[in-house]
Amino acid sequence: MRALATAATGMAAQEMNVEVISNNIANMNTIGYKAQRAEFQDLLYQDVVRMGSQSSDTGTIVPTGVQVGSGVKPDAVYRITTQGSLTQTSNPLDLAINGQGYFQIQLPSGETAYTRAGNFSVNNVGTIVTSDGFTVLPQITIPQNATAVTISQAGQVQVTVPGQTAPQIVGQLQLATFFNPAGLDAQGGNLFLVSGASGPAVLGIPGTTSYGTLQQGYTEASNVDAVTEITNLISAQRAYEMNSKVVTSADQMLQTNTQMKQ
Amino acid sequence: MDNALYVGLSRQMTLQRAIDVTANNIANVDTAGFKVESLTVQEDPETPARAPATDPINYVLDKGLARNFGQGALEQTGNPLDVAIEGQGFFTVQTADGPRYTRDGRFTLDATGRLTDKEGDPVLDAGGGQITLDPQNGQPGIGKDGTISQISLTGQTLVLGKLGVVQFSDLTALSKQGDNLYAAAGGQLPVAATGARINQGMVEKSNVQPVSEVVHLIAITRAYESVANLITQIENLSESAVQSLGKAA
Repeated sequence: MRALATAATGMAAQEMNVEVISNNIANMNTIGYKAQRAEFQDLLYQDVVRMGSQSSDTGTIVPTGVQVGSGVKPDAVYRITTQGSLTQTSNPLDLAINGQGYFQIQLPSGETAYTRAGNFSVNNVGTIVTSDGFTVLPQITIPQNATAVTISQAGQVQVTVPGQTAPQIVGQLQLATFFNPAGLDAQGGNLFLVSGASGPAVLGIPGTTSYGTLQQGYTEASNVDAVTEITNLISAQRAYEMNSKVVTSADQMLQTNTQMKQ
Repeated sequence: MDNALYVGLSRQMTLQRAIDVTANNIANVDTAGFKVESLTVQEDPETPARAPATDPINYVLDKGLARNFGQGALEQTGNPLDVAIEGQGFFTVQTADGPRYTRDGRFTLDATGRLTDKEGDPVLDAGGGQITLDPQNGQPGIGKDGTISQISLTGQTLVLGKLGVVQFSDLTALSKQGDNLYAAAGGQLPVAATGARINQGMVEKSNVQPVSEVVHLIAITRAYESVANLITQIENLSESAVQSLGKAA
């Protein structure tokens, strides 16, 4: 009887489901966070009676075979890359992307990481950096005497310096898009790396079709929907319970076996 | 009299298989596009346990697997590459072993922009070709008939292909492969589905009804117990027969 093992795969899958849901709920207020979803597939089937096989010498065919499945497996934890809502912060270096692009971040290792979290600041030499102090690419330095920073929807960074009426352009932000943003490799710290599944980064200027526009003074809230997560949590818990009922039932049948002959 | 024991045993064997099928249904209660299954049994037509001219005694035998291809509930995900079929039909994916069919429309793109399933197998369009999207263009739109389009940088609508939805005349002859895929068994060929509607941003959930599966579980365990009781009674009967006959002798 494989019901015990089958139910165990079901319980393991629901356990993972709850882990993913709890991570979503924990990151409900993380800037730029994208909700994840555990996805499942059925496991291999054993053919007990193969459909389409010949059942007699006269050539009759088995119309419906008997295939017994062996449970479920998690096949992906998929990141749902839909737009999060924009929250106004009025901080001039908070940037939200309204579209599909990602900011490029230079990691201390020299690698380029990508993020949707645009809560930037300036470091001690005036460079625009992330909250961890990693440089935002292309590197842009704000002069020390600047009184105001304006970042346009197309990513042009302008500063106002005392004594000059016209604002000065100090840089142009670029965004990256991917064939498959769900395939990016999450690193924690709101950062992602390119992977074989995501495809290479395609760079472009904000404001062109798919890259999205920049909104200065806003951050992108996570796209986690609390109600969805809670309902998913309830259904995952119930599914876990049901799988445990299968274990109990299979156990009961085995117990019946042992009690048959006293 | 031994026959009664073996008839009981044959029933217990089918009940064990039935609980395996129910366990698989419950394990897949959250598997997209999963279709609930149940074991059907029959009286063994070939080898009777005892064959009097009238009223033969037969063993019980697995006959087949009934699969309920009824519609699963559609859950809204908002993900542009999640598609669900409303009505009869299957998506076609090209695997290393040939075309396979699935109701699980949680597609994704690979590193070159091809539309694939979660295993990386390309999803085929109505003509059997692959579908490639361009990330520089806007979000893909998928129509009710499966037509996939993107808006280009210059604002034009580019039609990239039409998702192939196929149907089979005999659904019972589909063989499950795992990974939410079915293979066409018995040499039948797919035909284009009629009346299937594609819903973008939706996932078809498993059509397992938890309550009825739990009821099955109870029924199976109780039936198993009553067969066990029957076997115990047959044994008591032989025991008392041996004792009574022994005394008489």
